[in-house]
Amino acid sequence: MRLFWSFTRQSFHSSAIYRFDFWLQLFSVFLMMYSVFWIWTILYHQRPGAFGISLEQMITYGVLGMALDTIFHPGRGPQMYIAQQIRSGAIDTDLMKPLDFHLHMLARHFGETLFRFSTLALPSLIIGYLFLDLQLPAGWAQGLLFVISLLLGFMVLFSLNFLLGLLAVVTLDIRSITWAYNGIVRFFAGQMVPLWVFPGFIGALAAVLPFKSIFYIPLSIYIGRLSGSEAWQAIGFQLVWICVLIPLGRLAWGRIHSRLVVQGG
Amino acid sequence: MISVRHLTKEFKRVKRKEGFLSGVRNLFSAEYTIKRAVDDISFEVREGEIVGYIGPNGAGKSTSIKMLSGILVPTSGHLEVNGIVPYKDRKANARQIGAVFGQKTQLWWDVPVIESLRLLKDIYKVSDRQYKRNLEIFNDLLELDTFCQTPVRQLSLGQRMRADLAAALQHDPKILFLDEPTIGVDIVAKEKLRTFIREINREFKVTVLLTTHDMWDIEKLCSRMLIIDHGQVIYDGSVEQIRDTYGGSRTLVVELEEEVADFSVPRAELVKSEGRKKWFRFNRLEASPSDLITQIGGRYPIVDLTVEEPEIEQLVRSIYQGQGRRTEVM
Amino acid sequence: MDTLRIYLKLIGISMRSRLQYRADFVTGIISVIVLNAVNLTLIGILVNRFVHLNGWGLWEMVFLYSFWVMSHSLYSLLFWHFNTMEDHIVQGTFDQFLLRPIGTLVQFLGREIQYIGIGDVIVGATGLTLAYSHLHLDWGIYEYTWLVVSVLSGTLVETAIAWIISSLSFWTTRSMSAFFVMMRLNALTQQYPIDIFGTWFRVVVTGLIPVAFINYYPSLLLLGKTEQAGSWGWLGMMSPVVAVLLLGIALLVWNRALRRYSSTGS
Repeated sequence: MRLFWSFTRQSFHSSAIYRFDFWLQLFSVFLMMYSVFWIWTILYHQRPGAFGISLEQMITYGVLGMALDTIFHPGRGPQMYIAQQIRSGAIDTDLMKPLDFHLHMLARHFGETLFRFSTLALPSLIIGYLFLDLQLPAGWAQGLLFVISLLLGFMVLFSLNFLLGLLAVVTLDIRSITWAYNGIVRFFAGQMVPLWVFPGFIGALAAVLPFKSIFYIPLSIYIGRLSGSEAWQAIGFQLVWICVLIPLGRLAWGRIHSRLVVQGG
Repeated sequence: MISVRHLTKEFKRVKRKEGFLSGVRNLFSAEYTIKRAVDDISFEVREGEIVGYIGPNGAGKSTSIKMLSGILVPTSGHLEVNGIVPYKDRKANARQIGAVFGQKTQLWWDVPVIESLRLLKDIYKVSDRQYKRNLEIFNDLLELDTFCQTPVRQLSLGQRMRADLAAALQHDPKILFLDEPTIGVDIVAKEKLRTFIREINREFKVTVLLTTHDMWDIEKLCSRMLIIDHGQVIYDGSVEQIRDTYGGSRTLVVELEEEVADFSVPRAELVKSEGRKKWFRFNRLEASPSDLITQIGGRYPIVDLTVEEPEIEQLVRSIYQGQGRRTEVM
Repeated sequence: MDTLRIYLKLIGISMRSRLQYRADFVTGIISVIVLNAVNLTLIGILVNRFVHLNGWGLWEMVFLYSFWVMSHSLYSLLFWHFNTMEDHIVQGTFDQFLLRPIGTLVQFLGREIQYIGIGDVIVGATGLTLAYSHLHLDWGIYEYTWLVVSVLSGTLVETAIAWIISSLSFWTTRSMSAFFVMMRLNALTQQYPIDIFGTWFRVVVTGLIPVAFINYYPSLLLLGKTEQAGSWGWLGMMSPVVAVLLLGIALLVWNRALRRYSSTGS
């Protein structure tokens, strides 16, 4: 826990946010929340009460999805850090640290996420609440479940990103692969369009893939689409994937570590 | 050739706040400080001179070189390069100067050197004849032909520097700015670079303004030295004079075959000792390195040795300490 | 003419640099195609489930999307590296453009080429062709000419906006977030007809950051939807004018940026 705290502190300490930058980032989050608000408003105007969900719930799902995009964007994370270190050849300094690499990445990324949550996601949520009909969760229990599933969602995303980062160690450049990766993750995670809208085969596929742990499950719990035993089942689903992905990541890392080629030198 | 009078350059910089949540506090306000990077300097450089332009990091060297090459506009003062005011006519100035920045190459990273040269030929409108003649000279003096088909990213630092020099010289500039041209280059390659710079200065009367941290560069190349610090010229004169006045001390570094206890040598002072390596400081007027080497070598077998010139920083420090004598020197 | 010759030579050398990394070439293009396929699938699902989006059917939306990608392809091929201006400023490599006796802009523009644009051409052309046949469009020479003109105008609009943003980075040093805002706006106008986002949004993407001229307004005209757009419909003809205007503004800002650079060096 000390490790996590120190990385979080470091993030708060050294993250250079430029003034101009910060307001623009906040603005672009607002833009996305605003647009998703309108998309659902128009669509629900055409078909009120579609999929047994109210417009308010749907807007909350969409706006929250956009606000959380500031911390769960798959384009940020350990894979970017690893790729950067590989490119510059600085990865060996990470390996020399008396620190488990997987844990180091987790702590570092958790710190950054917490930093981004408090500086970007939180203000966005407040804006969403004040201006865009973002509703509060149905009750304390539902809110607590949401927080739990959000943390688990973080773990799933981290583990997937870590695996992608390991690909950077093997292929040395993942920049172009990340575009496709980001698109696929956001799609199957239900970041923009919830999984219950997906038709037949795509819906069935999205239901078993781990990605829905990242956005769909926490968001559905938040708006009350998943509650009670259904919510617990969803959390169980997240846990199962975490239990698969973490050992997988560590195993792959162990393999790769032994044949790590550092570029340059 | 170069004339600089009362040249001043000021920068406005954002003051970053320190401490916890500094990032957050910076979101709301910013403070500025004004830094005078070049502070009222004046000097002349005559045609055919090689002038060492030295000073500690941040002294204002690169700022003034940037003004001379037309990248920066001065805050006040006057400067002229071969009759052209660089910031008023950047392109005309660019045609008559060449510049090499040791830290970053100006060549295209992923393509063979020769392709960069061909492209620069077009950019500078170099005639075919001039291009061919210069290529021969470069092949001759820089052995360019041994690596001109290699992409720049695969060159050694020394080769890269030679390629950069060729690129900077193929349009026959009258003035050459060299910013740390030997930084990070090994001894043999350094020597080659120096020979080449001397050669083009002698043969083609190219005026050279050179910044460096390597005192040997100055020693071997320059007749004159300009030392600046805190944006001001603190010395302008011959290299010999400053060496005699301030830079008398040198350090002999010997690496012995095996570890021995500290020992003393007449007319030299043991200043540092680290395992098999010993540092002896001596005054070049009182002792010669060869004497010292014979003395030490007579006692213990020597594996390796170098003679270190005083560092620029040390030189600047001794100039400050000897402020009283400054007028005599100048 | 001389400048054009130098530009082509610079582009030539950048292309040869790029070709050194062939593996990246293939994964890059595949990635672009996958990303676009995912986006289109998402749009397809939405429109399929709700029949239409504010009067825009599936293939009309595919047309809108592909039109944007087509315009974007040339931009990403030749001008994408406006994004990297801030790196040149921060690392001081911008100096090299001022050391040579030719224009700064041509040197910067010739510095890089992004083959990713080829993936965009594939996606854009495929999408437009499919939409054309599904919408049973029957164009004459006039419509085809207008397509080419407005696609190129779209490229110039996007280029000019990127040029302005990258010029602003001479003041702000960091421009990445401004580019993010532009990319977000772009993604929205690319994927959705802007008429769904309310009036003020339309004002912003029409008047302030006119990305709507990249695909939305010309598509109105080519899909015969100008009537439906009401008093905004006439703007369908305007993208070439907007492109030229915007380039003029960009040139002004750029010149000021250069002047600032030469007085601050950062």
